[in-house]
Amino acid sequence: MFHWLEKNPFFFAVAVFLTIAFAGLVEILPNFAQQSQPTVGTKPYSTLELAGRHVYIKNSCNACHSQLVRPFKAETDRYGHYSMSGEYAYDRPFLWGSKRTGPDLMRVGNYRTTDWHENHMKDPAGVVPGSIMPAYRWMFTNLADIDTAYAEQITVKNVFAVPYNKPLPMKDGSKEVVKLADSLSGAHASALAEAKLVVADMNDKNVKEMVNNGQIPEIVAIIAYMNSLK
Amino acid sequence: MEDRPLEYDYTIAKLFMYSTIVLGIVGMLVGVILAWEMAFPAVNTMLGEGLAEYTNFSRLRPLHTDAVIFGFTLSGIWATWYYVGQRVLKVSMAESPFLMFLGKLHFTLYMVGVVLIVGSLLMGITTSKEYAEFEWPIDIAIVIIWVIWGMGLFGLIGIRREKSLYISIWYYIATFLGIAMLYIFNNLAIPTYFASDGIGAWYHSVSMYSGTNDAIVQWWYGHNAVAFGFTVPIVAMIYYFLPKESGQAVYSYKLSILSFWGLMFVYIWAGGHHLLFSTVPDWMQTMGSVFSIVLILPSWGSAINMLLTMKGEWQQVAESPLIKFMILASTFYLFSTLEGPIQAIKSVNALAHFTDWIVGHVHDGVLGWVAFMIMAALFHMAPRVFKRKIYSKSLMNTQFWIQTLGVILYFTSMWIAGITQGMMWRAHDEFGNLAYSFIDTVTVLHPYYTIRAVGGTLYLVGMFIFAYNMFKTMTSSERVDESELQNATPMGA
Amino acid sequence: MNKLVLWGIIITAAMLGFTYLAVGLTKGGLGGDIVNQLAVAGAVVLVLVTVYVVIGYVRQMQEETASGTLADETWDGIGEYKNELPMGWAIIFLGSTIWAIWYFLVGYPVNAYSQIGEYNEAVTEHNSKYEAKFENIKNDPEQLNAMGESVFIANCKVCHGLEADGIGGKAADLNHRLDAKAVEFAINNGSSKLGGYPMGVMPAGMAQGKDVTEIADFVAGGMTSNKGRAAYEMACASCHGSDGSGMGGMAPNIKVFTPMLIGKVLDHGKKGGIGIMPSFEHSLNATQKLAVETYIVNISKGAN
Ligand code: HEC
Ligand code: HEC
Ligand code: HEC
Ligand code: HEM
Ligand code: HEM
Ligand SMILES: [Ca+2]
Ligand SMILES: [Ca+2]
Ligand SMILES: [Cu+2]
Repeated sequence: MFHWLEKNPFFFAVAVFLTIAFAGLVEILPNFAQQSQPTVGTKPYSTLELAGRHVYIKNSCNACHSQLVRPFKAETDRYGHYSMSGEYAYDRPFLWGSKRTGPDLMRVGNYRTTDWHENHMKDPAGVVPGSIMPAYRWMFTNLADIDTAYAEQITVKNVFAVPYNKPLPMKDGSKEVVKLADSLSGAHASALAEAKLVVADMNDKNVKEMVNNGQIPEIVAIIAYMNSLK
Repeated sequence: MEDRPLEYDYTIAKLFMYSTIVLGIVGMLVGVILAWEMAFPAVNTMLGEGLAEYTNFSRLRPLHTDAVIFGFTLSGIWATWYYVGQRVLKVSMAESPFLMFLGKLHFTLYMVGVVLIVGSLLMGITTSKEYAEFEWPIDIAIVIIWVIWGMGLFGLIGIRREKSLYISIWYYIATFLGIAMLYIFNNLAIPTYFASDGIGAWYHSVSMYSGTNDAIVQWWYGHNAVAFGFTVPIVAMIYYFLPKESGQAVYSYKLSILSFWGLMFVYIWAGGHHLLFSTVPDWMQTMGSVFSIVLILPSWGSAINMLLTMKGEWQQVAESPLIKFMILASTFYLFSTLEGPIQAIKSVNALAHFTDWIVGHVHDGVLGWVAFMIMAALFHMAPRVFKRKIYSKSLMNTQFWIQTLGVILYFTSMWIAGITQGMMWRAHDEFGNLAYSFIDTVTVLHPYYTIRAVGGTLYLVGMFIFAYNMFKTMTSSERVDESELQNATPMGA
Repeated sequence: MNKLVLWGIIITAAMLGFTYLAVGLTKGGLGGDIVNQLAVAGAVVLVLVTVYVVIGYVRQMQEETASGTLADETWDGIGEYKNELPMGWAIIFLGSTIWAIWYFLVGYPVNAYSQIGEYNEAVTEHNSKYEAKFENIKNDPEQLNAMGESVFIANCKVCHGLEADGIGGKAADLNHRLDAKAVEFAINNGSSKLGGYPMGVMPAGMAQGKDVTEIADFVAGGMTSNKGRAAYEMACASCHGSDGSGMGGMAPNIKVFTPMLIGKVLDHGKKGGIGIMPSFEHSLNATQKLAVETYIVNISKGAN
């Protein structure tokens, strides 16, 4: 049989393809069948948070930081509750990472604060002596891309039925709604409102001024994103 | 069938040889920069604060992985394809103007792709998925390039004179099919600009899959990108270049067959080993682990076949630096395909995952196996393509030893770093509390990061020696006669 | 002995030596942790097997000669022997395949194993072990202090620094109760985040003008000078007491660190003039909190 295949490239190729495609289906399909349900307390990202997530991706923070707490005592002691599938329901793409040069950030919003991030992103080794994380000073002047974040929100709402504007169950039994603006200017306004809350806890004069002038630097967006990781 | 040796046309092979060398140096230079940045973070701002956005570790890291994978390795695969394909199919590219045209188009579009990729990664345009960072416009370009290669591949096979396909061809076909399938499905995404009636960046997209599902697709892809990018086509190379260079017949046809189909069947299932202890269902993880163990055998099959092909030929190993490269490549192939499965055992992965031990595993595979094999292939091809002797055998020897030392420093340091780091993360003290804060587990690694950076730098120095030797071979080395080009590659001093 | 073999042995010895060092230098070493043991065993097996197998093939290159019947075909001059499969390889391949099928269908069929189940067991075991071991730690100040240091290193050091000095003003200096800036901040902005003092919250503006700095210096200076004392008595003593001790827990003790104050900071976090400290309410258990409270009270005593 093999000799025959080796003389018939077409069937050879078909045989190879079937072999690899078959295994692929078994590996992938079963989990797709059971659509992952968001856990209670999981919310879609707000415009500013999503813009921050884009900053995170743009700078490949995932090259050094995972977002996956594995179920080990040492890991849950360090980072908090182990990850659950439904918590990632709105993560496109997923950001689990594959290398922990720096700590996991899955729940960093629980144990780091706005001003700490501000100092840290400006000069990591100044805050954590011995840190090998690069400083991200340009984030204090580059502007976050609110437009693209908003475009992505609209896309996931329309295509994947991500529940913006719908009451979602929270852990304490209450309901919360993540609003999606109905126009681009509305999205800018709500992102700015959120940015003001973040900036209230920051010290950088320049950043404060930019936000006062209606601009949102990347650092504000990424901190909003990190604060949302809980 | 005619007796007269065919006049093979190496125009396209040559072009890809150049890009292999250039992109190899670029990719590894960036790797060396990364390594120094991890040892000495000040290197992040080596071109000043103003350019730090483009020179810092995280912006450069995808550039390194993509330059060495989609630049160096792919170029090497194609350089060898456009050489080996003609020879084992006994047909010259010159016989078909259409195939020549496809080949040239292939290279031209590829160069355009390279420029787009470098530019976009430096600007931070990435989707974050490892080894699939590119946004959709580049994905489309890659698919087109791939299809063009496929047309050339099957076109050449279509007009072949050698009826049955040599082993290397099996592996090239599998490379083509495997990557095509994987790449397309992992990159399915929706461009947000079009889905939102024109808001935001035109090139931005959002993944078709979310969370855990996205992870499964990504590592189904990621693991098999290793399979069909770093293993299958490299095996294609060694099956041609080692027997050809040494003049020995392949040890066992049966072993070739069984390793090939075994590899095809087993590889795909193993992707779950990148997702151990994640939120992927337990049984899928178990499947990934179990198949990884079985995978040792088909992987080792090819390596053993090659080592046994050299049975009784120690003389050649000792004499020829070119054969040394290939024997060491097989050895590292054995090593990394045993290391991988060991790291895929759940309890081992609990420690190894996320650590530098994985990075060590990666590089004993890519530096020791992939890059060694590609360079050996180029060394073998150069005299036949440029009709000149290899410029310097002693430079080749020097390169071999420098790079071997480089790899050893690289993987030993990362091995220790990874195990240390993994154990420190897990450690509880006598009170049952975590024994170390995270930063303690970073600062201890400094010496190992430094050793790795030195090892990587040595490897890069070897690359420069390689480039120089090749350059001299192309331009000013002694001419050789067709008759000298049977087996062992003619070499200068 | 042949050079390659020698190299093999050197590399094996070196790798195993380094691995041994890595293990030895980590607190607790293998420490009864099955994961550590298996990982290190895996590393050892990896080196030994590869080196041993490669040496085996090198022997064959040196001592045997190629043999077998050649197939009829050649490709670009490359021939092929019709040799049988290497026996060992074939047997192990078959064996591993059978093992895989067994493992997947019989050994650990689809839902036989749960990583979360395993985690829960591990946590229960860990907790009961240490709870039993430190059942009476409350009565052992020295142990408590040592445990507090251990908690501090893993959880607090990142912000407060190994010396608890706040890393150049990035977080509070825990060697001294309050510096003048913190007091000024509390006077000007009030204080409400600590939560749960019988006095409720502290309103902003309890003192004005130059009184503010005088009081701040007075409090930060350990409440011993005369300057500022009068203003303090006027504005603050009603809640914090004239000695600053907080009148038995009605308001925070602002002279020295007390377990109560630290406990409240841990539970509620703190938002002050320096920045924001996150809450540790759920990430530390009661014993750990008590321990780190003791530890901070002690270091601040030592430093004063
Ligand atoms: C070169 C690797 C590297 C890169 C790239 C990197 N980090 Fe880090 N990061 C570290 C290391 C190492 C630490 C631990 C030391 C410290 O806290 O600075 C860390 C710590 C952190 C922490 C503190 C988490 C904690 O639990 O203490 C946050 C938050 C963080 N990084 C965010 C980011 C973000 C956001 C980016 C990208 C914009 C980024 N990092 C990029 C290496 C990196
Ligand atoms: C009405 C009672 C009251 C008065 C008067 C008062 N305080 Fe307070 N103070 C409190 C209470 C209650 C808290 C804790 C509130 C909280 O944060 O939950 C507090 C907190 C503080 C803190 C913060 C302690 C820490 O470690 O964060 C400082 C400093 C302080 N007071 C100083 C002063 C000074 C100085 C004055 C006089 C100018 C003063 N207080 C007057 C009730 C008072
Ligand atoms: C993310 C950073 C961070 C971490 C982690 C942290 N702290 Fe703090 N802590 C702060 C900051 C910032 C302040 C100062 C707040 C202010 O007064 O402005 C503070 C203040 C305090 C205070 C109050 C000092 C005072 O005079 O009122 C205590 C007590 C304290 N920390 C103890 C701890 C302990 C114990 C831990 C570990 C279990 C810890 N901290 C972990 C950032 C941190
Ligand atoms: C039998 C064959 C192999 C198996 C079973 C295997 C297994 C593994 C495992 C378990 C990981 C670690 C996953 C993690 O915990 O993060 C890994 C990572 C990796 N391996 Fe292998 N490996 C094999 C061969 C190879 C070879 C030959 C190469 C390259 C030449 C290679 C390249 C990589 C790369 C690049 C990664 C990193 C993936 C990432 O980015 O996380 N592997 N492999
Ligand atoms: C001079 C040689 C090289 C050096 C110094 C080097 C250095 C590095 C460094 C520092 C990293 C990042 C590791 C981390 O994040 O902790 C890395 C990652 C990587 N490199 Fe290299 N590299 C070199 C050559 C190569 C080659 C030739 C290839 C492939 C053919 C390659 C493939 C990779 C891959 C796949 C990763 C990602 C690993 C992962 O995510 O686990 N490298 N390299
Ligand atoms: Ca990786
Ligand atoms: Ca893509
Ligand atoms: Cu893999």
